[in-house]
This record gives sequence, C-alpha cells and structure tokens, in this order.
Amino acid sequence: MHIPDGFLTNRLAISLDILSGAGILYAAHRAKIEFSSRRVPIMGVLGAFVFAAQMLNFPILGGTSGHLIGGSLLAILLGPMAGSLTMATVIIAQALFLQDGGLIALGANIFNISAVTCFSGYGIFKLLGGSAGSGKRLLFAGLLSGWLSVMISSACCALMMSLSGAIPIHIGLTTMLGYHAIVGIVEGMLTAGVLSFLFKVRPDLMSIDGMGRFGAADWIGALAFVAIPACILVAAGSSSLPDPLQKLLTVNPPLPETAAGSEMLPSARYADYLMRGGLFVLFIGLWFAISRLTRHRRGGHEA
Amino acid sequence: MRHSFIDRYSALDSPLHLLEPRSKLVAFTTLIIAVLCIPANKGILFFMYFFATAILMGISQVPLTFIMGRVLVILPFIVLATLAAPWRGFPGLAILFIRAILCLLLLILLTNTTRFIELLRGLRKLGCPEILVMNLSFLYRYLFVLTEEAMRMKQARDCRRVGRAPFREELKILSSMLGTLLIRSFERAERMYSAMLSRGFSGEFQVYSPRIFSWRDLTFLSGAALFVVMTFLIL
Repeated sequence: MHIPDGFLTNRLAISLDILSGAGILYAAHRAKIEFSSRRVPIMGVLGAFVFAAQMLNFPILGGTSGHLIGGSLLAILLGPMAGSLTMATVIIAQALFLQDGGLIALGANIFNISAVTCFSGYGIFKLLGGSAGSGKRLLFAGLLSGWLSVMISSACCALMMSLSGAIPIHIGLTTMLGYHAIVGIVEGMLTAGVLSFLFKVRPDLMSIDGMGRFGAADWIGALAFVAIPACILVAAGSSSLPDPLQKLLTVNPPLPETAAGSEMLPSARYADYLMRGGLFVLFIGLWFAISRLTRHRRGGHEA
Repeated sequence: MRHSFIDRYSALDSPLHLLEPRSKLVAFTTLIIAVLCIPANKGILFFMYFFATAILMGISQVPLTFIMGRVLVILPFIVLATLAAPWRGFPGLAILFIRAILCLLLLILLTNTTRFIELLRGLRKLGCPEILVMNLSFLYRYLFVLTEEAMRMKQARDCRRVGRAPFREELKILSSMLGTLLIRSFERAERMYSAMLSRGFSGEFQVYSPRIFSWRDLTFLSGAALFVVMTFLIL
C-alpha cells in the first residue's frame, strides 16, 4: 500500500527518505560495477513490465481481483540489489505519473515496497533452496517467498503508520495483514507460476541472478544498515521531542496548544524551527555528499 | 515526447511550464515540506497555502477538470487512511485530510507542468544517480508499448475461451501470459541495447533542453522561499 503525504510524522518520513536515498545510491553504485553494460536497459524495461503486468487482473473471491506486484519475482530474477532498484524505479514512477504515494513519503514507500519486499523475498527463496531445486521445490519456494514478502512489507507499512500515530498498532496490523494475506496468496501463486514457466521455457533467464551475488557479508551489512537507524528511530519516536503531527494527534488539540503557545512561545518555537531546518539541511547535505562520491568514481571509470 | 494519459498538459506554454526543472523541483519540495510542517492549531496557514496553490494552478493553465480527475483517483485512499482513526474528532481528521490533499495538489502541479524527460534531467543535475534516471526514462518510454502488448495478450485469451476456466487452469494461463510478457521484455531490452550501441551510446544520455536557469527561475525560487519564511515566521 502506498502511503500518501501527511500520514507519517515528518521525523519518520524524512529519516526514511535519507535511509532509502542512501540505499538507492549504494544499489546504483553496485549495479554500475556488477552489471555488464549489456544489461543497461533491462531494469527500466522490467519496470515497465511491472506496470504492464498490473493490467492483467486475476479474479479472486467476490468480484475483487488481484494482480502481480512483482517485487519478489524481480529480486529472484535479477538479484536483490538490482531487483530493489527496479522496484524503486516503479514506485518513483507511480508517485510521479499517477500521484500514488506522496513525495516526502517516497522514502517510506520505497523502503516498504521495494527494499523490504525484494530482500525478504530473495532471502526466503534462497533459504528454501529454490534456485537449486526444480519442479515442486521451485514452486514451493516461489509461493512462500511471494506470500511472505508481501506480508512482511504490509506489516512494515502498518508499523510505520502506527509509529506515526495514524492508526493504533493492533488495528493496523490486523487489517493490513488480513487484507494482504489474500493479496499475498495471489502474488505467491503468480510468482511460483511465472518461475516454473520460465524454468520450462527459458532456463537461461533464471541464472541472471549470478550477476548480482549477495553474500553473507552483504546480508550482515544490509541488516545493520537498516537496523541501526530503525533502533534510533524507535527510540526517538518514544521520546517527547516536539513534532507538529504528534501535537495534532492528541485527542483535544486546542487546549494544550493555547496554554503552551502563550507562555513559552519564542524559545520552544525557534528550537522547533531550528530542528526542522537542521534535519532538512542534513538531508540535502547527505544526498549531495553521497552523490558526489559516487559520481567521482564513475568519472574515474570512464577514463 | 509525452503520453496523453499520463501528462497531457505538460507541454503547455504557461510561465510555470517555462521554468527550469531544477528550480521547480526544489520549490515544490519546499512547499510540500512546509505544508507538512504546519502546526495543527494554525488553521489560517492552511488557507494561505491553499490560496497559493490555487494561484499556481491558475498560472499553470492546466484545466481544473483534469486536476480534479487526478485528485478523485487518489481520494479513496486518502479518505480510507483518514477514517482509520475516527476517535480523533472532526478537527483532527479535517486537518489530516486537508494536509494530504494540499500535498497531492502540489505534486500534481509539479508533474503536470514539466515534461517528464526534463524532470529527469533536473533530477540528474540535482545529483540523482545516472542509472536510476536512465531506468525511469526507459520505463516512461516503454510503459505503453508493454501495456499494449499485455492488453493484446489479454484480448487473445478472452477471444479463445467462453466463460471462466476453473481456478487452477486460470492461474496457469495467467502465469504463462506473465512469463511470456517477461521474456518479451527481456528480448526487447536486448534489442534496444544493440540499437543504442549502433547509434553511438556511450553510457550517458544526452538530452537536448532549451531551458536554462534564468531570472524567471530566480524570481520563482525566491518567491517560494519568501512565502514559506513569511508564513512561518510572521503568523
């Protein structure tokens, strides 16, 4: 599910922007090294494939229909790095073309739908040995990786919304998981179906994964990369720093606002602005710095 | 190049369309962040931002019906997410809703006053990695080619059967359709790459764009910055 702007606290949304931005820059950097240049258009065209595949609906119970989401399929075919980069492309395009998901919430959406789905789908597929096996094993691994990746991603989405105070955690988790359990079954069955079809028809396409190997050290790095900011975020989320959205979410906003607003106006307010400004500058600076770094290396590569 | 469904009005000649993409990106991002930072007890700020958005919409000459159509598509999601917390009371819900709608309007305005290829060029100049920009441009160019292919396959399937097949059969048909589409996408990508190489592709796109950073952009950027600073410091 794509989160629109305004439903996450600014702190959460902007830190996830930074996290996803850094992840994308790293993935782009690795893709540049590992992908032979022959594969340049493949990620973009597969992004268009995900869009097109979502036109092919599949009827489920009661007149509703599901479609392929494609995260775990791309991760299995291209490897998790290139797969999540492709899914990130799709999510950015959905935000820009269809306004599906907000601009500041883009980091959160990329994290949920591309990073979490691709990495968990790929990890589960590898754990179940889907790549080595054929036939039944491949079907089973594909099914489970599709289903679980959708479930984990929707749980992440519910967690973010409830961390922002938009919905209480138990309601969010039950509705999101309940809905996505059905969507995920369709996703899993289609992932398994497409994989076994490819295995029969074009087994050579299944081994593209070899280009973007993802070893144990990479897994540890990726987990630390996500876990450390997540811990800081949860710690910060439970603190009582001022945040406009959290003020909004108190049940009766006018009372404390007027009381606090009249007496501690200047200092608290400017500290708040300073914090927001600092976050913004940090975000821009980090983006700039990392992009400079990666650009510099590419320049050397060209020469 | 533009698609009539996605960005029909992105090639108009309004003052907003003539701006350089980078300045538009920065200004609109700032405006959206400012909207997200409005404290809940400052209702008047929402009016001011709504007013500013309305002025921008007027300048942009994008038809109002088109913008409203876009809003209507996303509206159900926003309403659903807003109503997930009914205990918050009317003012809280209304503010959440207004904030989401304002951000949506600004985003619609940004994407519909800039040609996508120019937007990508702006992103590239702002430091977005080349590979992501390239992916996005391929996605934009081949989106409708592949969608059309998918629709053709769907039509062929529908022509060959009556009613609905049993569940297992249906699943098998759909997954082989998707698989075929995937293989065709792969092969198309290979063909595209040979075509690009034979035309002298060197690893980076060269996009011609007449837009340069001019006094117009300076005015727009400083106007937006002034507006944000004023609304937050004075009110």
